[in-house]
Amino acid sequence: MLEEALEHLVKGIVEHSDDVQVHARRIRSGRVLEVRVHPDDLGKVIGRGGRTAKALRTVMNALGDGKYVRVDLLDLNEAR
Amino acid sequence: MTEAEKETAKTAPDLAALEQEGEVAADYIEGLLDIADIDGDIDMDVEGDRAVVSVVDVKGGDLVGANGEVLEAIQELTRLAVHRQTGQRSRLMLDIGGYRDRRRTELRDLGTKVAADVKRSGEPKALQPMTPFERKIVHDAVAAAGLRSESEGEEPRRFVVVLPA
Repeated sequence: MLEEALEHLVKGIVEHSDDVQVHARRIRSGRVLEVRVHPDDLGKVIGRGGRTAKALRTVMNALGDGKYVRVDLLDLNEAR
Repeated sequence: MTEAEKETAKTAPDLAALEQEGEVAADYIEGLLDIADIDGDIDMDVEGDRAVVSVVDVKGGDLVGANGEVLEAIQELTRLAVHRQTGQRSRLMLDIGGYRDRRRTELRDLGTKVAADVKRSGEPKALQPMTPFERKIVHDAVAAAGLRSESEGEEPRRFVVVLPA
């Protein structure tokens, strides 16, 4: 559910919504949601002073049933 | 167009545009509610020069959060979604589960009470940090009580100071 919610929130605010990909993985303390967007949209999902990134993290943690959710924002071509 | 008409065209809120903002916002929020399996009805309205979208009869989930921080985050994202669709910057107001109405009443009471305290003591009084929406309500309540107030500090820690007469 969290991946789907994040994908919906991000797709709604970027220009290249078809390029949005979300992958989830577990870490010891909770979950990591890795969002990849078109390079031109990276600034948009981070926002001025990280405002938009913070808003996304706040909403995802509210939906996460008290478990820690980390949200990583990456450019589509970034290697991990 | 006469000068007066031009003036009206410039200042009158564009109702159709605000309604469109509401539509885009409602779609965005409805999508989120569906995915998160939270029940709620979405009301759309226009108050003055801004679109208002309210999620009412909410069942499940906490989309307001401590001090409304989740609500503010969803509002922020919703404004961006509206901006993407319409190309216009949005000042849309989101409410969830009547939070803003409750907060409005609390803050109005707070502003009135602090104004009375400051009148009595003659000393300025600083309040807790608040969002712009919250500070506006306090400023209005203080003004209604016949005193002045100012905002100090930087966002997100900006706060109201009530000044003695």
